[in-house]
Amino acid sequence: MLSRAASSLFWMARYLERAETQARLLDVSLTMALIDVPEDREEQLSVPLLVTGTREAFDQLYPEISPQNLIDFLLLDHRHPASVYNMIRTARDNALQVRGNLSTDVWESINLSWLELKELRKRGVTESNASRVFDWTRERSHVFRGAAYGTLLRNDAFHFLRLGTFIERADTTARVLDIRHRMALHSLEGHSTQSFFEWTALLHSLAAFEAYQNTYGHNIEPMNVAELLILMPDVPRSLHACLQEVASLLEQIESGTARRARRLATSLYANIRYGDREYIEERGLHEYLVDFLGRIQRIAGQIQKDYMGW
Amino acid sequence: MQIQTAPEGLYDELFDGDNRVRPGCRLLKQWLTESDESLLAEKRREADVLFQRLGITFNVYGEDQGADRLIPFDLIPRVISAADWQKLQSGLRQRVQALNRFLFDIYHDFDIVRAGVISAEQVFANPQYQPGMQKLKLPRNLYAHIAGIDLIRHNDGDFYVLEDNLRCPSGVSYMLENRRMMMRLFPELFARAPVAPVDHYPNLLGETLRAASLKPDPTVVVLTPGRFNSAYFEHAFLARQMGIELVEGADLFVRQNHVYMKTTVGPQQVDVIYRRLDDDFIDPLSGNPDSMLGVPGLYAAYRSGNVVLANAMGTGVADDKSIYPYVPDMIRFYLGEEPILRNVPTWQCRKPEDLSYVLDNLASLVVKETQGAGGYGMLIGPRASKEELSHFRDLLKTRPDNYIAQPTLSLSTCPTFVEAGIAPRHLDLRPFVLSGKKIQMVPGGLTRVALKEGSLVVNSSQGGGTKDTWVLEDDQC
Repeated sequence: MLSRAASSLFWMARYLERAETQARLLDVSLTMALIDVPEDREEQLSVPLLVTGTREAFDQLYPEISPQNLIDFLLLDHRHPASVYNMIRTARDNALQVRGNLSTDVWESINLSWLELKELRKRGVTESNASRVFDWTRERSHVFRGAAYGTLLRNDAFHFLRLGTFIERADTTARVLDIRHRMALHSLEGHSTQSFFEWTALLHSLAAFEAYQNTYGHNIEPMNVAELLILMPDVPRSLHACLQEVASLLEQIESGTARRARRLATSLYANIRYGDREYIEERGLHEYLVDFLGRIQRIAGQIQKDYMGW
Repeated sequence: MQIQTAPEGLYDELFDGDNRVRPGCRLLKQWLTESDESLLAEKRREADVLFQRLGITFNVYGEDQGADRLIPFDLIPRVISAADWQKLQSGLRQRVQALNRFLFDIYHDFDIVRAGVISAEQVFANPQYQPGMQKLKLPRNLYAHIAGIDLIRHNDGDFYVLEDNLRCPSGVSYMLENRRMMMRLFPELFARAPVAPVDHYPNLLGETLRAASLKPDPTVVVLTPGRFNSAYFEHAFLARQMGIELVEGADLFVRQNHVYMKTTVGPQQVDVIYRRLDDDFIDPLSGNPDSMLGVPGLYAAYRSGNVVLANAMGTGVADDKSIYPYVPDMIRFYLGEEPILRNVPTWQCRKPEDLSYVLDNLASLVVKETQGAGGYGMLIGPRASKEELSHFRDLLKTRPDNYIAQPTLSLSTCPTFVEAGIAPRHLDLRPFVLSGKKIQMVPGGLTRVALKEGSLVVNSSQGGGTKDTWVLEDDQC
């Protein structure tokens, strides 16, 4: 397939995945800010900015961190690229470029998201109706995924699209885990109810709360959380699950000569697959995740070079 | 609903002069009479939503790039009887055949010029003439693989050719999507009316493009200027329907006079390019050097015979408005036949006697630029103000070569669902003619309708809409 088309599909999927995560992150942060003690509120609210690396951009546009400002900035602000509004717009622009590689159902799901988002933006989003918008964002993401799984040919177009999804997801899981795990550990020193909420916030941000309960029961142990989100192959947003997909997709994609991305991905996947919690503990979770983030970014860069770098 | 018919002296596509339903239109009339306004209004809203969702939108030059607009779609189809289509089809075939023969001739032997039918100056000094195309051998001697011929029906009931489009005729996606929309909105109508199908157009187009190369299994691509082009939707639509790649200039490169596309598995050679870019933008090395749209070296590769462009370079000479008056002569000259379809009488302002007639009768004529397109830069005499008339008088005197004039034709009307109810609106017709191993077309075309009362300008850039076009397989309904 065309290199440009592969690139558009890859980024389209990344942006859609990112929009979904951003809505989840913001949703969790707003809820947490309500139950947190006032002095921690700002820290709670700033989590989505930390994860997405947009604190600086935010400070340039808004005087202070408040729920409404965050909603405006992360959802609807057209002035910076990291808003859900601009992500869906970019995804739709990319989809338009590769309209020929998409099924009508997939194209319509993205186009409709864009049309509805424009309407939502006109009406405005406030703290009181924000949760409906979060639900909407998640649902639109589900519709896209369903349409993609249900109607796309299993060819390289599909593989590049999924590659975008899982690279993005691996990256997000590692970032969220890194930041929220530190916050939750910190809270262990304080009130136990508060601490419970911190851990659930982490799990909710990655849609893994129910998965945790199913696996480990009600008691939340820091290392269990890390194990679940890193090593468990059957948790959809775990690093293991994401890398398994990335490695297998790169195997399936038709390739010409030497492909470095494939080698890098297989090696990282092997590390996780044969890794264990003792190793992570020894290494330190933060260092482990920083290393992982560096490697996933190298893989993403190498994918661009191998298949799209004309 | 009540159906308003055309005023005295105009041709109504649904009713004849005595207010009787025309052959093949009884069913449609009955349906319109039985449908109430709220139902039609609801269906129209449904159509708008569906078109938005499908993304069937177009960009207007000069407007905000983010502003995707819908071309207004009218629910009431335009009907062409089987008998009329028979005649149209043979006329179109004949015309396109002659035009391709003409293009071959002016790049090879110049017979028509030697015979004195058309002056050398009009051919060779035409800005659309591509000297680089001379003596270039093209597969099957084909130049205009895809032609869109604009026709109107005059109040005498006959179809006249208004203009030939031999460069990058667009609009075929609307023909296809309008039909799909109608079948979705009114399936019961299609169950009863013997409407000829058009859905196989992409197959025929694919067949035509493959036949443009002599290779057994050529790689064909669609070349688009990109998503800011007003017809981008159509480019993507056709590529998808044919199952071929939609490429932009940057996706292609030329190496040793061969064209390749950049794919995830390395370079892949391209044999046929269905290009939706004008000649000037194909190759910055030979055309517009500032353009980023084309592919450096493409023209040279083309001239080496390593890639086929559809349509060929330099077809613009044949659809130029200054050449248009000669098409009937071409048909006689190359085919030895009488033209089946008529031309609109045309005064060529480059001829002094024609110019003086035009200046004397400006208020009753339509004046067009020979290079113009899209309904821009034209004067409709009977509708023009004093200032406009005097402005055009000056233009004509300074640059007579740039203009032709024609009588103001009374385009036929068709009942159209507008604010005032079901009222007559003027329309034209653009069928698409494909030339490959043989000449083929689907029974139908793009019907454009001027939605403003009395307006004769059907261009979508100027407030025109479209309708589904029904060619009947049988007139007994």
